[in-house]
Amino acid sequence: MNQFDHLKDDDSGDHEDPVANREEKSDTDSSSLNNNNNNGRRKTISPGVGEHPLQYNYTFWYSRRTPSRPANTQSYEQNIRQIGTVASVEQFWRFYSHLVRPGDLTGHSDFHLFKEGIKPMWEDEANKNGGKWIIRLRKGLASRFWENIILAMLGEQFMVGEEICGVVVSIRFQEDILSIWNKTANDQVTTSRIRDTLRRVLNLPPNTIMEYKTHNDSLKDNSSFRNTKITL
Amino acid sequence: MSTGCQKTTSRAIPTTRRVTINDAAHMPHDYSTTPGGTLFSTTPGGTRIIYDRKFLLDCRSSPVARTPPRCLPNIPGVTSPPSAHNDKAHPPQQILNNNNCTAPTDKTAGEDAQFEMDI
Repeated sequence: MNQFDHLKDDDSGDHEDPVANREEKSDTDSSSLNNNNNNGRRKTISPGVGEHPLQYNYTFWYSRRTPSRPANTQSYEQNIRQIGTVASVEQFWRFYSHLVRPGDLTGHSDFHLFKEGIKPMWEDEANKNGGKWIIRLRKGLASRFWENIILAMLGEQFMVGEEICGVVVSIRFQEDILSIWNKTANDQVTTSRIRDTLRRVLNLPPNTIMEYKTHNDSLKDNSSFRNTKITL
Repeated sequence: MSTGCQKTTSRAIPTTRRVTINDAAHMPHDYSTTPGGTLFSTTPGGTRIIYDRKFLLDCRSSPVARTPPRCLPNIPGVTSPPSAHNDKAHPPQQILNNNNCTAPTDKTAGEDAQFEMDI
């Protein structure tokens, strides 16, 4: 845990080694992992005995940006940190219950929950042809919506095969934004189904605006949330 | 509303099917049947482990789900250090998510019916 101590703010340069994630599971687990320290080897996370497995393992990430700093790929990659990886419902609750709710985060911060192995970055292999739906929330709603979107994703409610990459909640100055990333931006059957599922699982009012943006477009204008395609 | 038909790709019939059981009452009484019936079916994308929201929320209150994770990084303002072990004596903790699971009548832990809200 010491390696994370100086992660308190953005300035720590390195540690962006995703395999340094050393998550542990339940104490009673039976898996064959050894608890040796990683010399950069990733341990396999699996459900503990008696736990309910998830369809995929997921990793929690956190990022924060000082608004005055310019955003570019390299600084973004250095500013995102893994928090932990989970393979079961119980492991998920263990982490989630020990994280601050998004509504209580300060500053320009994000939580990301992505399938293990996919970085929450446009440039990741899984994301380069993808895009995301975004929903803008007025202040006060982020915590509840974040929880509901996570539960829908973990519970495989979207029914789009392998397409979901992850979800993000972004705390910003006057609004908060929920995003769900999928692999293939031009697959309209998938994106429509995701949109419809979002309406249902988040109980969105019928006139809620939903916006889609491809990651290529985000790369081009170096912005996550501007210039989206609007859908009603 | 969803559009009509969609193209599906052909695939071999999977050899296993996983069905999640939330309740012992759902288990069949004889060994020759499987939960959910012996009729085989697949969901788009193949057989998957699916949990509904209520089930996931119910898992939250199990003891296994409440122990602090090991190796939780200490990020002030974001994570709570693992030593802050809130035992379920209803501590008046505010900012962490785990305070929700102690309230039996917490509306988020209950039914699936979600209320309307304006965004």
